[in-house]
Amino acid sequence: MPNNFALGQENLWSRRQLLKLGLAGAGVTGATALLHMLNAQSKSIVKIPPMEAIAPTNAPKNAANPMQVLRNFDYGTVKKENGRTIREFRLTAGTSIIQLNSAVSYNIWDLNGRIPGPTLRAKQGDRVRVLFYNQAGHSHSLHFHGVHPAEMDGVRPVSNGSAAIYEFDAEPYGVHLYHCHIEPVTRHIAKGLYGMFIIDPPKPRPPADEIALIMAGYDINDDNRNEFYAFNGQPHYYMDNPIRIYQNQLIRLYVLNIIEFDPAVTFHLHANFFNVYPTGMTLTPTHKADVITMGVAERHILEFSFRYPGKYMFHPHQDAIAENGCMGQFEVVADSKNAISTPKNSLQ
Amino acid sequence: MIKVRYIFLAVAACAIVSLSSCNAGTPTAENTGTPVANSPQASEAVSNNSHSGHGSKNQININTAILSELDKFEAKLAIPALSNKIQANRPYASPEELVSKKVITQEQFNQIKDMVTVQEVALTGEAKDVDYMSKLGLMKGHLIVAKELLDQNQPKQAEPHIGHPVEEIYVDVEDQLNERKVKEFKTTLVTLQDLVKSNPKAAKLKTDFASSMQAVDGAIAALPEAQRSKTGFVLQVINELLDSANSEYGAAIANGKISAAIEYQDSRGFVTYANQLYKGISSQMAKDFPEAHKSIETSMAELVKTWPTAIPPAAPVKTPNDVTKLIKTIEQNSQTVIDKSSTQAQR
Ligand SMILES: [Cu+2]
Repeated sequence: MPNNFALGQENLWSRRQLLKLGLAGAGVTGATALLHMLNAQSKSIVKIPPMEAIAPTNAPKNAANPMQVLRNFDYGTVKKENGRTIREFRLTAGTSIIQLNSAVSYNIWDLNGRIPGPTLRAKQGDRVRVLFYNQAGHSHSLHFHGVHPAEMDGVRPVSNGSAAIYEFDAEPYGVHLYHCHIEPVTRHIAKGLYGMFIIDPPKPRPPADEIALIMAGYDINDDNRNEFYAFNGQPHYYMDNPIRIYQNQLIRLYVLNIIEFDPAVTFHLHANFFNVYPTGMTLTPTHKADVITMGVAERHILEFSFRYPGKYMFHPHQDAIAENGCMGQFEVVADSKNAISTPKNSLQ
Repeated sequence: MIKVRYIFLAVAACAIVSLSSCNAGTPTAENTGTPVANSPQASEAVSNNSHSGHGSKNQININTAILSELDKFEAKLAIPALSNKIQANRPYASPEELVSKKVITQEQFNQIKDMVTVQEVALTGEAKDVDYMSKLGLMKGHLIVAKELLDQNQPKQAEPHIGHPVEEIYVDVEDQLNERKVKEFKTTLVTLQDLVKSNPKAAKLKTDFASSMQAVDGAIAALPEAQRSKTGFVLQVINELLDSANSEYGAAIANGKISAAIEYQDSRGFVTYANQLYKGISSQMAKDFPEAHKSIETSMAELVKTWPTAIPPAAPVKTPNDVTKLIKTIEQNSQTVIDKSSTQAQR
């Protein structure tokens, strides 16, 4: 990576370009992702339209910021120990507030001040070390999906004010998740203690505009039913602030359903079909669909590109869930000359 | 909706500068995230498998140790308030982070490094007893508030507070219960929870509740009476309870309103029990540590006012900030007593 970046070199790093990378507002954690994206950018021609990070509400402190969740991956702090790559992640559970709409605020448990927690990303075979610090009152824990020894399974309570270290090898590759595993797990997850955990295959997937979408529900009155739903933490956010993508650009969606209390939801994309990589554990798609059913904690990689510019909705086809907040749209922007053509692994 | 633009440009730009300067000259491996800056263990081949091996008996886990355990470092290095500083800089990936996080200097670290670990350590001595009693104290706090709610005919609201002791704490204290030959009472708690959920009007509820409370009291009674009446010991437990109460209270309040009743009630239960414990040692405190006593007693009386009823009031009596301040005052005063009583005990 060139080391001639400097403050004030407007021609190199205008505000617009940083926004284009989707990282303004991401703060320091975003720096890791930024570095990666710069690396990725130099190797490919993945194009991401400029986009402003709009705060979900004018509330003074809102832990939800969907634009930050969208394309922001946390690769951890990389160390070499005994010739192995160690990725060290730090997650602190705290308490904060989100504004579900202009009238309703809700107390959540956050991870690193945000909901959902950071999207942690490693490569298959890396050693992952997660330092979990609990400052959120109740006992909490972090349980990772994947393969690891029993002691690292994260079902033991970590009491308030203390920290636990989880360490395991990143395997198998795919799109996974992590979440608190203290009972009632429904409450601990629905109040915010979850995030996506991506393990990349040894040989990277083809370049694409990579996007994380996490579907979650909010049970604001503890009646074991959700009153609100959201993509990336904030109800209706992407309806008001569509996700801008380029026409004909390969889009790789990492989609996770962590909606508690509803046994299953679908994910439906308008005016298109996507290639399905179940649990992200294949390198070739198994089929094509425009609706995919996902049980709780189920997740997949979906790939597609849009042929025509315009706005296209996505939502669970349980329309009541969509109407209560789990709804968004892509805004396809014309930019034919710089985009990648159709998906490499397309079945068509 | 008002659109607020996030302008964290300066931060992002600084990050680029620091990243690129760290990276200068070294080829960046694919997917390499933030390179480690100034981390002493980065160059060493430290095997740090947190799940392998056992810490020696004298070691202290800086990620989990209670304040009074951390005092051993404070005593050895003679750095005032070091315990709090160590706690404030959690978590630590390795003992060396005490240095890289600038908690202590390399020289100071060299003096204590054999005592420091981030691996799980089996607690011993007083620290073990404080840990045990604190966890049971949290259970007790949950049950106290559950009882209040049951008495007010609010089984639905009482239910989570009957659930929490077994869901969040019991597993953590299970080994100790076995060691101390305390009869298991998970079944008792679960039975009570089942009953509250399915048939809260049952007459049996009263007796089931009484046996749960007795079971926790019985587990506490497994500690020797002399231990349980020692001011320094009880204050450590009180601090642990208040620390949890503080976080829970903060989690209960949103936009100046009490929006999470469960967390409000949890904190009420913890403070109620902490207050009960303090009443038990207050005459001893007045005699031995009149100054600290006065301050703790005043703050405690003020603190208790935060929770006028088990059902949350319409408006909070105190802000989370005020509660934090009162709890810090109690903590600081008790810390001087704990330090004094532990040095006395050594003589
Ligand atoms: Cu939890």
